[in-house]
Amino acid sequence: MNLPDWMLLLQWGDAGWGDEMVRGMLMTLAVAMAAFLLGIVIGTLGAALKLSRYMLLRLIGEAYTTLIRGVPDLLVIYLLFFGGSMALMTVARMFGYEDYIELDAFAIGTIALGTISGAYATEVIRGAVLSVPKGQIEAAKACGMSRFLLFRRIMVPQVARFALPGLGNVWQLTLKDTSLISIVGLVEIMRQASVASGSTQKPFTFYLTAGVLYLILTAFSNKGFGLAELWANRGVRRA
Amino acid sequence: MKRFLTALALASIAFGGAADAKDFKAGSKVRIATEGAYAPWNFTDSSGKLDGFEVDLYADLCERMDVQCDLVQTAWEGIIPALQAGKFDAIMAGMSITDKRKEVITFSRSYMGSPASFVVVKSSPLASLSAGLDALTLADVDAKEKAGLDSMKAALKGKTVGVQISTTHENFLNEYMGDTVTVKTYDTQENLDLDLVAGRIDAALASLSYWVPLLEGEKGKTMAMVGPKMDGGPFGNGVGAGIRKDDQELADMFTKAIDEARADGTIAKLSKQWFGFDGTPKE
Repeated sequence: MNLPDWMLLLQWGDAGWGDEMVRGMLMTLAVAMAAFLLGIVIGTLGAALKLSRYMLLRLIGEAYTTLIRGVPDLLVIYLLFFGGSMALMTVARMFGYEDYIELDAFAIGTIALGTISGAYATEVIRGAVLSVPKGQIEAAKACGMSRFLLFRRIMVPQVARFALPGLGNVWQLTLKDTSLISIVGLVEIMRQASVASGSTQKPFTFYLTAGVLYLILTAFSNKGFGLAELWANRGVRRA
Repeated sequence: MKRFLTALALASIAFGGAADAKDFKAGSKVRIATEGAYAPWNFTDSSGKLDGFEVDLYADLCERMDVQCDLVQTAWEGIIPALQAGKFDAIMAGMSITDKRKEVITFSRSYMGSPASFVVVKSSPLASLSAGLDALTLADVDAKEKAGLDSMKAALKGKTVGVQISTTHENFLNEYMGDTVTVKTYDTQENLDLDLVAGRIDAALASLSYWVPLLEGEKGKTMAMVGPKMDGGPFGNGVGAGIRKDDQELADMFTKAIDEARADGTIAKLSKQWFGFDGTPKE
């Protein structure tokens, strides 16, 4: 049986690149999820800063979102990747440690992408917080709810529901931004595809495969967010 | 993008350069970076193992330098800033020695040349063209080489020679033969090959790393390489190991090891194995 060239190239095991490409996809997924979760944490903090009653905190939140959303993502990654290890080594030198310190590529990638997706998540969450009707908050206070109870019972369930569509968007951005961190040496889909195409001189086969793998990831996550929205809106009647 | 990376590299030096000069000597640890995606220089096989000309060469050079080497795989984008940041100590990734790069890093001597040669169709009267030389280094031309160059020029007088536009090969033609041959430029090497076979041009000039695989294949069976392999001068300075400017002694160690590997034929053997021709750089 004669398989076409591209199938031979993509077969499983040591003879082909199939297993390497799928491993790249899992790496992409792992970095994207870690960065997205970090982004939600940062985004929640960022939204709290921007909605704070203190001017200084508002300014910090404003500076963060303006800066990160205003410069290219690639630049943020470069600065963290090259600048981060240089800063660390300079500090280490002060304490007399001379050897080279390798920063973990996965950690750097997650921090860089988390910082970026956090800035977008900040705006999404801030918008969701503002969408909670003021009357509900007043009513909760009138019932004597503590600040924590108000946060847990009134804010979180509604903010989560309002934020879901926007966060789905942030997720897809984060997923695709992972292709930028191939420069830190993390072997995700894009890096694997460029290594394979440079090594075999068959760019189309591998970049098309990479495209298909990204589509698989985004198609499944679309479905996932759709289900999550259904669940979050289960108590709400559609008009 | 390239300019941005250069700027980043410069900035990283300006900011005190985290990578201070290290002392390299016998027994030192040297981290060498390669891309692993540039066959046949360096590439990854389908089981994920690094292979290629430089992957074989680095092991040989490290043994000669008596140092412990680690080969690190890194992306080509940002490879120079990463060297500056101290992520590794040397680059062996098919990187040509250029003046632009020399502004930010230093190089060992070249371990591979970039030889070029003329190709004609086998039925052409030029098929017997020979300058009485196998190889010609254009950096310092002696009397015999001068005679060879002149005889080649005479043979090509009035002919049309095709070349890919904006290449070192075009520069060579304009500089050395521009007054006697008609230079025809092409946007791609493929179009150039088609016109050569169709007889619209009498000869074509390109690098051996392009010709050798082509002439072995189906498309090249009517073509023949003629005249000497030409290197140096307008053809560039070859490919060398990129090293931080602070680490000149490491560059010197590389240069010494490369000279030994040139002298005993190791580079000739590896370059024949991986490229199909002997690209050992001259002095």
